[in-house]
Amino acid sequence: MGSGEIIRTILQEFPYALFGSMLVGTVCAFLGVYIVAKRVVFLGAVLTQVSVLGLALTFLPVFSLPHTIGSLLVTLLAVVALSRLLTGKKTPKDAVLGSVFVISIAARILIMQKTPKVEVSEIENLLRGDILFVTPELFYPMLGVFVVAMTVHLLFFKEFTYISFDAETARTQGFRAGFWEMLFYVIAAGVISVATHMVGDIFVFGFLVVPPVTAMLLMRRVRSIFLLSVLIGLATPAVGLFLAFVFDFPSSPTTVALASVVLAAGWCVSVARGR
Amino acid sequence: MQPLIEFKNAALGYGRNAVLKDISFSIEAGDYFGLVGPNGSGKTTILRAILGTIHPLAGEVRVHAPSARPIRFGYVPQRDTVDYVLPYTVGEVVLMGRYHQIGLMRLPSQKDREIVRETLNHVDISDLHDRPLKELSGGQKQRVLIARALASEPDILVLDEPTNGMDLSSRISILQLIHSLYQIDRLTIVMVSHLLDDVANYVRRIAIVDRNFFQVGNVDDVLTGENLTTLYQMPVEVIHKDGNKVIIARGPDGIR
Repeated sequence: MGSGEIIRTILQEFPYALFGSMLVGTVCAFLGVYIVAKRVVFLGAVLTQVSVLGLALTFLPVFSLPHTIGSLLVTLLAVVALSRLLTGKKTPKDAVLGSVFVISIAARILIMQKTPKVEVSEIENLLRGDILFVTPELFYPMLGVFVVAMTVHLLFFKEFTYISFDAETARTQGFRAGFWEMLFYVIAAGVISVATHMVGDIFVFGFLVVPPVTAMLLMRRVRSIFLLSVLIGLATPAVGLFLAFVFDFPSSPTTVALASVVLAAGWCVSVARGR
Repeated sequence: MQPLIEFKNAALGYGRNAVLKDISFSIEAGDYFGLVGPNGSGKTTILRAILGTIHPLAGEVRVHAPSARPIRFGYVPQRDTVDYVLPYTVGEVVLMGRYHQIGLMRLPSQKDREIVRETLNHVDISDLHDRPLKELSGGQKQRVLIARALASEPDILVLDEPTNGMDLSSRISILQLIHSLYQIDRLTIVMVSHLLDDVANYVRRIAIVDRNFFQVGNVDDVLTGENLTTLYQMPVEVIHKDGNKVIIARGPDGIR
């Protein structure tokens, strides 16, 4: 199959896969700048695992909810619980996150043991993250979440950046830092849970971290970092999908691997510049 | 004249745990007020009560605004508490001081940007406007944070350990800048420090804070060898030399 034919096939047969993965790449790369700057990268990994647990739960007969709703509810619940647990002084933050991370994985494995075989393979598909299976039923909720997340972030860019840079001083000027922090994490939880259902945890976590780090290596201005990160998040899934077709690889790991190649190139450029 | 800040028998702390009890003092408009004490003595707790980010467990902390609008604090945090991962420029950081006035869902106006430039000029760092904050020296960073606080057009400037970890020349330069804001700009200033020499020779009134010790008054009355000896539980002398105070602590074996 030639390049032109592959591009035509992707556009005609898998438009939701293409545009859906670009949506997820863009919004994750944007939110990821804050996640990396706040030094809560591990929280991103934890929330992706919690959202997979939420998905797995919906396969149990006792939780007969739509998958996305189940994943969203469990992830939001985790964000609220973590906001309490992470402000406590008794247990270190990374220990709290590590516990939630491992509990989510263990619980998911146990749930899969008690789930009919056909559905286990569906969960495994989700985990492997084959972007090609994106359907309109998954795409449109993601589009909605994308619009809400980006609108809120662009409207309140000042507030989110100030709280991320110096919450203590912002608080003395009357900003409700707790509210803005919670809003950030609720939006992140919404994006992560819907996106994980659509493209899998590897893709979501990969795009929360790799494009922002690449942009931070290459750019010297905050707005340029957001812009480059978003551009990487937008372009890499499209090229990754194309390469997955060419080499007959699973699309999600191919896309993350491509983003990692971009990161490696960014790191080389940054070293060459002496930064 | 009504004070700007008034503590009346205030108990301060976190949760149900009072760190300080029965604290009474006031800060007048135009004051230069120092808060000193050992590490962990509760200075930051008093600071937070002044700023209104914690409320008293008992007693009262009253804030009297000098005009019809709510009182405006220009807070200068410790340099290492801000986040240096993202390369915010000096101009962007100082503009943050205007965010409250700008309001939600509005972009900074030309006037806001003009105030940023004027403020940077005022603290002698106008040439740093486009430099990333994280690339600056400790003294320059401190000036940027002071500029950000001034950009908010505050009624009170509140500084938390502004000279901590600085070399001698940066330290003196920052203290002189703060002093000029008090003397020339007539700004009310509250400065927290554990460096007694910094506070002793600059502030007008002082509070010495520890968990079971609180004294407030003019520097000459409060910053005495006797009080400091009680506070630090070691012999401390306050020597006057060429109009300045020098604080000397002796170790248990008498070595200074």
